[in-house]
Amino acid sequence: MANLDSVEKLLKLAALACASVSVAIIAWYLIRRPPLGRLTKVLLLLGLGVMPLGVALTGNIAGYEYTLKRPFCGSCHVMAPYIRDAEDPKSQSLAAIHSRNHRFGEQSCYTCHADYSMFGAVTTKMNGLKHLYYYVIEYANTGPDGEGGPPIHLYKPMKNTTCTQCHSTEAPRWLATEPHQGMLADIRSGEMSCLNCHGEENVHPLALHRRAKTAQSGAGARKEARP
Amino acid sequence: MKHLQVKRLTYLAAAATLGAVGLMVLSIVSPKPIFLVLAMSVGQGLGTLSLAAYLLAIALDLNISAALADQVEEEVGEMLDEKSHE
Repeated sequence: MANLDSVEKLLKLAALACASVSVAIIAWYLIRRPPLGRLTKVLLLLGLGVMPLGVALTGNIAGYEYTLKRPFCGSCHVMAPYIRDAEDPKSQSLAAIHSRNHRFGEQSCYTCHADYSMFGAVTTKMNGLKHLYYYVIEYANTGPDGEGGPPIHLYKPMKNTTCTQCHSTEAPRWLATEPHQGMLADIRSGEMSCLNCHGEENVHPLALHRRAKTAQSGAGARKEARP
Repeated sequence: MKHLQVKRLTYLAAAATLGAVGLMVLSIVSPKPIFLVLAMSVGQGLGTLSLAAYLLAIALDLNISAALADQVEEEVGEMLDEKSHE
């Protein structure tokens, strides 16, 4: 994780350096207004083409890396209860336990909520745009934890592959757990969801608390749940 | 007239690039969802358009230069012809 952080910082620095060079060239051109000679043309090609391209490339990668992190997910206020719980060192919820795992690190939200397939990253980011749309139209000015907005829920049921990418159904310790043995085929086929036993208040308890507050205020009841 | 067009197009491209780079830097300095989306859509779109405008300006400038060179060549040729006749 430390390596990834330093790569992200390097990319950001590179993007800012490219932006500085670009701005310096453009400012020089706009202030001095030199004739369009060969040198000016080459300098402007650097300032208007090469350097902004560098900013876009490095900035895109740095931005994408940042979108995988927990602080990014928590930058919308409706996510505050989820993040508070995930970052609570005493919490025993699945979200908090996984967030404390150094293999997940700051990417704990993304690791469990990203689509696990070939184009998973793309579909996840498309869903992220959908989140932003709903955030703007439904959750603006809805209280510090978004309790005035409709309840938050997943767009589609959580797939078992999200859990089994780490908790292999072949692992001896997993197989030795008695309830797993009785429903092995169902778990592997996805007919039995992991969340049937490990879900609800085990995952995001503070989120359920928020939902209860939403129901009490009645504000969420006016809107139907989204598919 | 065309020289003025080239200059204007270049100034426009420079100003648009400043806006595009500004949006992209904003998303790096303050990576909030809305800024990231703006940088990756409006910022990059504006940057691409401004580069296209600058390349168009260069193409126009080269065209003008080529036309001027032809004109000068023609005039010098005529002058040389006249002198040889004299």
